[in-house]
Amino acid sequence: MAAYANVHLALETMRVKTLLHAQIRASPETATPDDLKEDAENGPTDAPRVLILGPENSGKTTMAKTLINYATRSAQDWCPILVNVDPSEGGPMLPGTLSATPIPTPIQTSTPAHTLGSSATTAPTHMASNSLMPFGYWYGHAEIKRNPLLMDRLIRNLGVNIWDRWDVDMIGRSSGLIVDTPASFAANSGPNSDHRQSLIKACVDAFRINVILVVGHEKLNVEMQRTYGKQLTVLKIPKSGGVVELESLYRARVRKYQMHSYMYGERITPPPGMPPLSVTQTAVRYLIGGEQSADMTLAPSSSIVSFGEMNIWRIGEETMAPTSALPIGATRVVSEMQPLAVDPAQPGSGLYNAILAIVASPNPDEAERYDEEILDLNVLGFVVVTALDLPNKRMTILSPTQGSLSGTDSYCWFVRVAGTKVVRYTSPILIKSRDQHSTIAPVEC
Amino acid sequence: MALYPQSQVYAQPQYPTGYPQQPIPPPAPNHFYPPTQPQSQPFFHVDPDTFRRDYMNRLAELTVNSRPIIHNLSIIAQESKRYAQIVAQCIESHIRRVPNWMKLPAFYLLDSISKNVFDPYARQFTPLVVRLFLDTYEGVDQATRSKMEEMLLTWRTGSPDNRELFGVVSQLAIERQIWGSGSQSGASSLKQNGQSGVSQAQVVSELDFVLGQKERALQSNPYDKVSQQHVAILHQLRSLVQAGVSQSELGAILNQLRTLAPAPTPAPARMPPPSVALPPARYPPPQHLPPPSALASTPSVPSYPVPAFSQPKVEPTAANLASSSSAPPVPVPNISNLFNALMKAGVVSANATPTGAGQTAKDQTPPPADSPKDALREYRKAIVSARIRLGSSDIMRQRPPIVRFLYDTAPSQCKQCGIRFSDSSSGKKRMEDHLDMHFRQNRKSTQSSGRGHCRSLFVNVEDWISYGSSDAKGKGRADGLVNAKAMAAAEAAKADADLRAMYVVVPPGDEAQSMSCPICKESLKAEFLEDDEEWVWRNAIIKDDKVFHATCHAEASASKSSLAARLRNEVSSRSRSRSQTPEAQMKDVSHRKSESPTPKLAGNKRKAEDDGHIFHGTKQEEGTPPMKKLALTA
Repeated sequence: MAAYANVHLALETMRVKTLLHAQIRASPETATPDDLKEDAENGPTDAPRVLILGPENSGKTTMAKTLINYATRSAQDWCPILVNVDPSEGGPMLPGTLSATPIPTPIQTSTPAHTLGSSATTAPTHMASNSLMPFGYWYGHAEIKRNPLLMDRLIRNLGVNIWDRWDVDMIGRSSGLIVDTPASFAANSGPNSDHRQSLIKACVDAFRINVILVVGHEKLNVEMQRTYGKQLTVLKIPKSGGVVELESLYRARVRKYQMHSYMYGERITPPPGMPPLSVTQTAVRYLIGGEQSADMTLAPSSSIVSFGEMNIWRIGEETMAPTSALPIGATRVVSEMQPLAVDPAQPGSGLYNAILAIVASPNPDEAERYDEEILDLNVLGFVVVTALDLPNKRMTILSPTQGSLSGTDSYCWFVRVAGTKVVRYTSPILIKSRDQHSTIAPVEC
Repeated sequence: MALYPQSQVYAQPQYPTGYPQQPIPPPAPNHFYPPTQPQSQPFFHVDPDTFRRDYMNRLAELTVNSRPIIHNLSIIAQESKRYAQIVAQCIESHIRRVPNWMKLPAFYLLDSISKNVFDPYARQFTPLVVRLFLDTYEGVDQATRSKMEEMLLTWRTGSPDNRELFGVVSQLAIERQIWGSGSQSGASSLKQNGQSGVSQAQVVSELDFVLGQKERALQSNPYDKVSQQHVAILHQLRSLVQAGVSQSELGAILNQLRTLAPAPTPAPARMPPPSVALPPARYPPPQHLPPPSALASTPSVPSYPVPAFSQPKVEPTAANLASSSSAPPVPVPNISNLFNALMKAGVVSANATPTGAGQTAKDQTPPPADSPKDALREYRKAIVSARIRLGSSDIMRQRPPIVRFLYDTAPSQCKQCGIRFSDSSSGKKRMEDHLDMHFRQNRKSTQSSGRGHCRSLFVNVEDWISYGSSDAKGKGRADGLVNAKAMAAAEAAKADADLRAMYVVVPPGDEAQSMSCPICKESLKAEFLEDDEEWVWRNAIIKDDKVFHATCHAEASASKSSLAARLRNEVSSRSRSRSQTPEAQMKDVSHRKSESPTPKLAGNKRKAEDDGHIFHGTKQEEGTPPMKKLALTA
């Protein structure tokens, strides 16, 4: 851990220097001569924007979390952004998303369901890491090779929004960001290495990365040194000794748990030897995972909507042959980025048991809309199709918030959903892998 | 029993339990806990021989450092003052008889009896104690020795009048034997000693003693920043002294330590172990340094707690030490720095006067104002002084000083969730907010939530972008969301209110005349302002000798003027508006009906703005919306 701590101190040095520079620029009249002198001595400064690369089971996510937690624990108001571009992990969202989350306070680890913090709920929570404000886009697959073009676009969208946010947030800008990447970014052999390079490039460009940390992979380190060594710092970090090889089965189970806890929350069991919290309500209170109530159970709502009430889109074709497999000279009929409407009434739509993402409203101005706008809309939430009633053209969906899509009794839900769409994602966990994309939206209001 | 009002202080580590090295044959359990023999058991031994026999028997139980046994034996001694001589003889023979590893508890007993029942016993022990102590000291191992030294130090002020427990002569005799001749004048007169030879061992041992006191004080009050810092400094001092420093420095250190260590505990509350956590009030707060010039820029910040201020002065030294302490023999030159730091931190006063003197005068100078910027500056210096760069060699450096940055810089900790906050004023503010958040969440969790809780939807792009970390710090909650549009609307509303709050004093003689705004053609309403005792036109502004509605005027000028025109207005009309508009005409809307000092403030602020004549892009930060500014200057 000495290496991690040293990295943290180095990043912290960058942060304090950048903040000094930013403060002087924001209000030159309040700067003291000492500050000015120090700033001049520092030379060009920049906040740490770190990209962590490494093979599977090398502790990338743990390292990202450790660095984030160190930064937030220093009581300097840092609010670094944790960027998750690994669609097989959800970050504070669900697997299948790419997200950016500002982390104001240290992330606690109390459950494998959200090791990177939990997004906000209406339940009273004491830990800020249990009520995070993630911002993300729906990618919809667990693997990057399914649609690298889409991934590239989403990464760049994420970067644009982060920089927009930083425009008004000096401390946040000085805090920098830390990007956690999928292991496939590091797999430097095999057929996928072309898009791998382009995705790393996308990350470096979008987030204006200035530090690349390569965890325990000498070959990748050399490659990164050669590619980016001139413009930014590439540093090899030894693999942590505590890394445990995780089975894919375990990862799948964690993903399933993540989805479950998105809807239902979780009940944290006290460690053995401690009495359950309900017993000790009045006498001795203790905290579990930083929370006073171990019962963070959430109540999703199940509702029946008719097919007409939603628009569902899929991005690209359901099964897409690689371009190389097409006949020579032929071009795709459906491009990888094209949203296709999905008709739930058609048999074989694959909606049953699928997770759909609700995305933000499209631009209210019709003239501003464009074909692929849905790709640039961020996620608001997720629903699961739990039943399809083809004869009656209805389906049952499980949504995180109470109230139904079509009902008027729940003002909040009704208003937010107005004009939103749902991109669908068939999770490889819930049913057998049939990854595809679709979108839903209510027809009116 | 009034002598033992606080007998629980025995639980303090004054009598450290057990011996580190020797395996102790576990005595029968009732030896450890003799509650079966009630303390109130009467001892009416008419016969001295019986008493002697009985006391010896009880003494024989004292094989380990057991608080109840010592306590019991002390009580018996107290109740049998007339047999003081017998008790003294018993204890002496016991100490001489038992094996070395059993001697320390008996000494603790001797210590306890002498201090608690000072009158006959100290006198009785005085002739014995020198020989007894020295003989024992030679026999025991190092760990016991240091404990005995510690005890010896408490004897310096052990008597009820804070003098030497067994008299100056005995005290000196023992100290001279143990630490050499350096302390010949030490116990009696603090002012004279120190210049002559002082042995390193003595200094170290006294350091240990003070350190022990401080650490105990810290244990009882873990959030005492001053003590924390003292402990850190003392640790450094100790390592330095061990590494070897010059004779005069040793003397100086010793002198300073003496002013600290044997300081009196309040006499009425005499407790058996004098080295128990001393009242924190005894430690003077650090003497304030002259404020750095940088502080002058933020005069309005409220006064600031002392310890955090004095810390930065120590930090660089500490950082240097930490980085250079790989080899045990630290070069000597650091000692003066360290000693200065010690002085500055208030552990040691610059001259050898008792630390209490002159303290009050210094306390009266207001503590220098601190600001988040200063806190940040200190942190920055500390971080930069760690000198770690992003390079392979730096990354692999062992023992990074990270603990200091994660814990020491943020000493105040939330007791509910363990999140730490810095000790600066802004950190305190944040901690308050944080505790408020806990309170709110607790209250929320006790209220029944009829339908259960659910996951919130994620935020929109606009919300996420404008959801600054600054206003949401510590809350991070959905209900804290600030919409950019809502903010803009609120700003506009405030600007409008500000405009409406402006007024023009009706010129004398014009009260009856009705004025109408040239823009909207509506008449201006005159009203009597109680505070200033004048008739005024509300929502009015004078422009080119005409009286406008302030809102109308602002609207009109906003619509007609481009940015350039606006800028021109700002520059050209400032002087005119100054001369025509009395200062008191500016009034904050929120205080419209309230006391009159507020308008003055607003006026001053504006004056400062006008005098400044420099328009930075940062004017927005003063909270004046652009609309108002335009109206003010137009």
